[in-house]
Amino acid sequence: MLKQLRNRLKLQRRAACFQIMSGFVIALAAGFLFAHPLIAQDDTIADDAVNAIAKDLYCPVCENIPLDVCPTQACIDWREDIREQLAAGITRQQIIDSFVARYGERVIGTPQDPFLRALALVTPWIVGLIALGTAAMTFRRWRGASRPPVAQPGLPLTHTDEDYRQRLENDLRERR
Amino acid sequence: MADVKLPFEETLIPPARRGLSLGSIVLLVGVALVAVIFGLALLRQNQTQPTSGPAPDFTLITYEGEEIKLSDLRGRIVVLNFWASWCGPCRVEAPALQNVWQRYQDQDVMMLGVAYTDTDSKAQAFIDEFGITYPNAPDTGTRISDWYNIQGVPETFIIDQEGNIARFYITQVNENILSTEIERLLRGEF
Repeated sequence: MLKQLRNRLKLQRRAACFQIMSGFVIALAAGFLFAHPLIAQDDTIADDAVNAIAKDLYCPVCENIPLDVCPTQACIDWREDIREQLAAGITRQQIIDSFVARYGERVIGTPQDPFLRALALVTPWIVGLIALGTAAMTFRRWRGASRPPVAQPGLPLTHTDEDYRQRLENDLRERR
Repeated sequence: MADVKLPFEETLIPPARRGLSLGSIVLLVGVALVAVIFGLALLRQNQTQPTSGPAPDFTLITYEGEEIKLSDLRGRIVVLNFWASWCGPCRVEAPALQNVWQRYQDQDVMMLGVAYTDTDSKAQAFIDEFGITYPNAPDTGTRISDWYNIQGVPETFIIDQEGNIARFYITQVNENILSTEIERLLRGEF
């Protein structure tokens, strides 16, 4: 009876050991499977990552065409430059800043001409303020129109009373 | 009997409007603003490369780290060439430019290459490929190409000893074209 119990315990220990070993092997395999693509990504930066930055840049050679869809060799070189910088661990903002420093602010769509640049930066704010002011005035006018003034006979309403009085007295004088 | 108005009637009649309404003013200002923007853009588009008069001054830092200021080269003929590694005609004219440099570098002639919207690695590879020995620099901020209003590459300006633009070439150049012009300026024929 005691022997049977010992054998049983031995079998249970073996099973437990087997389970632990299996779990370890599975964990290792899973780790390898999931880690492998990450190692590959370090070596090659995906086009999507490059284009995510390139879509906000413009090459001066091909005006108004975002860098991510521009087919010229100049743009291909620039995209390659972005890829190299990403591979070197440089952040998105640092890459954009480096392009601005090397090729000017036109690469981010800002005009080079100082006057046009100032105009481009200020105009949206001016237009917005004018639109807001116009909307507020229109709203006030609508509210005023929907509430006609209540006239009370005998009570002076405006400064025009004096004119009226003068005209009335003139009329009466003429009649006399 | 005269037509008599009561005081309260006077106030009910809205006063006649004089001048433009606020909406009209905003519209007019908007139209004027758009016209100004389009006008300036059109003006800028119509600007062409300078073909005579004083050459716009600039300072560049070459790929070797040397600082060169155009106005410091007064008294020498300057061949200013805008190029890019991705430009086909630039590859064609590169050996001619190098040959001209080798021929005239001891005769008060300076040659400057300005790489337009090029990456440093590609530009350097281009310089190495063609064995170019005259100073070359990136156009940092594309400022120099803006001042010279270049429309593309290659474009070449020949600046005389007095700092004026003597000749402008919008196409690729060759040894014969450059030599003829340099010889003329060396003879003092401005």
